[in-house]
Amino acid sequence: MNKSLSRALKLGAAAIATVVAISGLTGCAKETTPATGEQTLTIYSGRSEELVAPLYEQFTEETGIAVEVRYAGSAELAAQILEEGDNVQADVFFSQDAGALGALTEAGAFKTLNSDITDLVEAKYRATDNSWVGVSGRSRVIAYNPELISEDELPASVLDLANPEWKGKVGIAPSNASFQSFVTALRVLKGEKVATEWLAAMKENAVLYEKNDQIIVAINDGKLATGLLNHYYLYELETELGATTVVAKLHWFESGDVGNLINVAGVGVLSDKPEAQTFAKWLLGKSAQSYFVDKTSEYSLTGLPAREWLPSLEEIGSPEIDLSALAPLAATLELIRQAGLTD
Amino acid sequence: MLKRRPPVILWMLAVVGVFAAISPLAYLIIRLGEYGAEKVIGQIFRVRSFELLTNSLVLTLMVGATAIILGSFQAWLATRTRIRGRAVYALLAALPLAMPSYITAYAFTALLPDFKGFWAAWIVLSLGTTPYVYLAVSAALVRSDSATEDVARSLGLGRLQVFKRVTWPSIRPAAVGGMMLSALYTLSDFGAVSILGFDTFTRAIYNAYRSSFDRSAAASLALILVLLTLLLLVIEPILRGPSVPTDSRSKKTSHVQLGGWSFFAHAAVIGWATLGILIPVVSLIRWNLAGLSSVNFDEVLRALVNSIGYALGGGAITAIFGLAISVLAVRHASKLSAVAIRMIWLTHAVPGIVVALSLVFLSNQLLPSIYQTSLLVLIAYLILFLPNAVVTMQTPIGQAPKALDEVAASLGATKTQILRRVVLPIATPGILAGAALVALSVLKELPATLLLRETGVETLATRLWGQTSVAAFAGAAPYALLLVVVAGIPAWWLNRQVRANINQQINLDERMERE
Repeated sequence: MNKSLSRALKLGAAAIATVVAISGLTGCAKETTPATGEQTLTIYSGRSEELVAPLYEQFTEETGIAVEVRYAGSAELAAQILEEGDNVQADVFFSQDAGALGALTEAGAFKTLNSDITDLVEAKYRATDNSWVGVSGRSRVIAYNPELISEDELPASVLDLANPEWKGKVGIAPSNASFQSFVTALRVLKGEKVATEWLAAMKENAVLYEKNDQIIVAINDGKLATGLLNHYYLYELETELGATTVVAKLHWFESGDVGNLINVAGVGVLSDKPEAQTFAKWLLGKSAQSYFVDKTSEYSLTGLPAREWLPSLEEIGSPEIDLSALAPLAATLELIRQAGLTD
Repeated sequence: MLKRRPPVILWMLAVVGVFAAISPLAYLIIRLGEYGAEKVIGQIFRVRSFELLTNSLVLTLMVGATAIILGSFQAWLATRTRIRGRAVYALLAALPLAMPSYITAYAFTALLPDFKGFWAAWIVLSLGTTPYVYLAVSAALVRSDSATEDVARSLGLGRLQVFKRVTWPSIRPAAVGGMMLSALYTLSDFGAVSILGFDTFTRAIYNAYRSSFDRSAAASLALILVLLTLLLLVIEPILRGPSVPTDSRSKKTSHVQLGGWSFFAHAAVIGWATLGILIPVVSLIRWNLAGLSSVNFDEVLRALVNSIGYALGGGAITAIFGLAISVLAVRHASKLSAVAIRMIWLTHAVPGIVVALSLVFLSNQLLPSIYQTSLLVLIAYLILFLPNAVVTMQTPIGQAPKALDEVAASLGATKTQILRRVVLPIATPGILAGAALVALSVLKELPATLLLRETGVETLATRLWGQTSVAAFAGAAPYALLLVVVAGIPAWWLNRQVRANINQQINLDERMERE
């Protein structure tokens, strides 16, 4: 019995050694920016690698602070930070949208940002308690094909699209998060009744698409007169096809209309490391802000001029709304589904 | 005869494995406790919950039924008939396992934009999970002795009766085990159903995170999936029927001539392979032609190395614990081991993101030093894929005749010696097959890898995700293709492993005919 027990223990030890050796061997090939200094910063990035990896490299070059980046969906990262409890690994969280930031603010996960950071950005693009700050903006917009419809025929408000003359003339992507956030804004600003009626009218009038880029392609190809989407999709189409071949154009509703909603990507700080605040401030500095303007055609929130073919933030006149509330909330999804726009 | 107790090491490993497998339940309970009974009930008993539950159940039943019928048919065709091209057909039956269901779904929609909704989800998930049944049933058929069937026929039973009364009972446990994998995969799948726009319960769980940032709401929905699994586990023994001992020493297998029916068999197999392999691969290649220019080979290589590392690690660890549980359940059957083997299934329908978040929570509470290390990733794979290993291993482990243990014991071998020198050598091919199936699943796994990997470690699957999330589909194509090719290796090998015996048998038959 003793002999067999000792054999058993040996076998067990061997098994555990195998497990440890294997886990040591796996995952050796890591991606980090080359460190020049001692400090490293851990970034949880809800903005995708394709979009922001060059930006993080630039940050390391300019500040000497090395970064380790964890890419995943903004909502998943927010949940992960909440589950980490007292052992949060992230120094900063760079989120694709304000809703995920709002969830962390509510849970008290963020440190307050220094006022030299928050002062750079207008109050409506940051948290009321300065727990996060917007970094770049994107606008909801109506795109149109000037060969099918002239600009002065376009409506003054997004709510006008409910009128019967728009039947079959407007494209939407009801399962897309940015459309859903817009519907949340509609509910918050105009009430449930208006939102419900508008959605019901869109069930009649709208041509449904799965994704925003399909809408812009359909408009450009002359298959669709107008469509609701984020402003940068036109720019993406231009980079793909060349600016001269693109006929689709953008139009904004009357200043202050809910259809001109501006949503932001933003950053919050989770640790006491001074480098975390440095990173947040750097995102609002000249290099990062011009990166967003040039590379993604987003709006700078610190006042850098937008691309020449875009109206300024002031001209657009985004409606006043607490951006933290701008998630595609469950109640919004329910409303869209009840209208018959999603399965 | 003395009833022999199993070696201590087996119990130790099995207990650790079972506890790991059910650990996400602890997390669910904690989350629900915070939420309060009223809100949990409010969350669960909504009309929409029932609609989604119905969607999920109908899809699961349809996919499970398709898998068990088609998978068993393919296995029978490839092992028990003389149909021309059966070796190729066997490979074609196994290979769809290499296609992650989200890639198949994407590949179909890229070719056919209207490929959406229930029927699309049914086809894609059936294609992806039928190989579970095919592999399990093939293993059982190759090992079971067709002499009984011949006797039954010589006693005057028709073919259908022989199938019903002899063949089916002997493959039934394997077929039902494979179907359980298929059904629970369907319940927990998110990637395919979201691409195909079919609303299931798992989509609602993801929406609870994404749209309301509400972890407790997600937990209460996940609990429903656990309860559903519990229900399936109650039904499963009834479906499985009694286990039929086969005498593994006799290897005489007779092969059926299909005659006029072979046309239908060819059509069915080729049609299914066209859907499951040809169409997705054509779409993938078309996709790659558009995107090969943008490849960064260093990045691809690093992702490949990490993927293979995780796959080997996950396969090895899960095989070790799966082996202990299988040996206990098969060779030391007791009430306790029967309970243990059923408990590992409990979390198998829980979506990957919930399992991952539960490990984020538990590791930070109990063992912060393993958080965001590869060890925790491997533990996640253990939890997610333990049942896959056990289903694959049980049949081959059951094959080693108990009499050999007794002989060895009478010659003075200790329990561990018996395990090491008798059981393990006989079961090795089966153990390797279990490890291969887990490695394959690890390669395809996304949500847990994404959340738990060491910061900065990218795999083929996470790269694929990163590229598709910015609509840079062209950039994603090489990762998708490489993933399918790499996952094809264990799929090919699994099929070879399963058919190793049959090839020997056929050679033997042919030699005997000649002589």
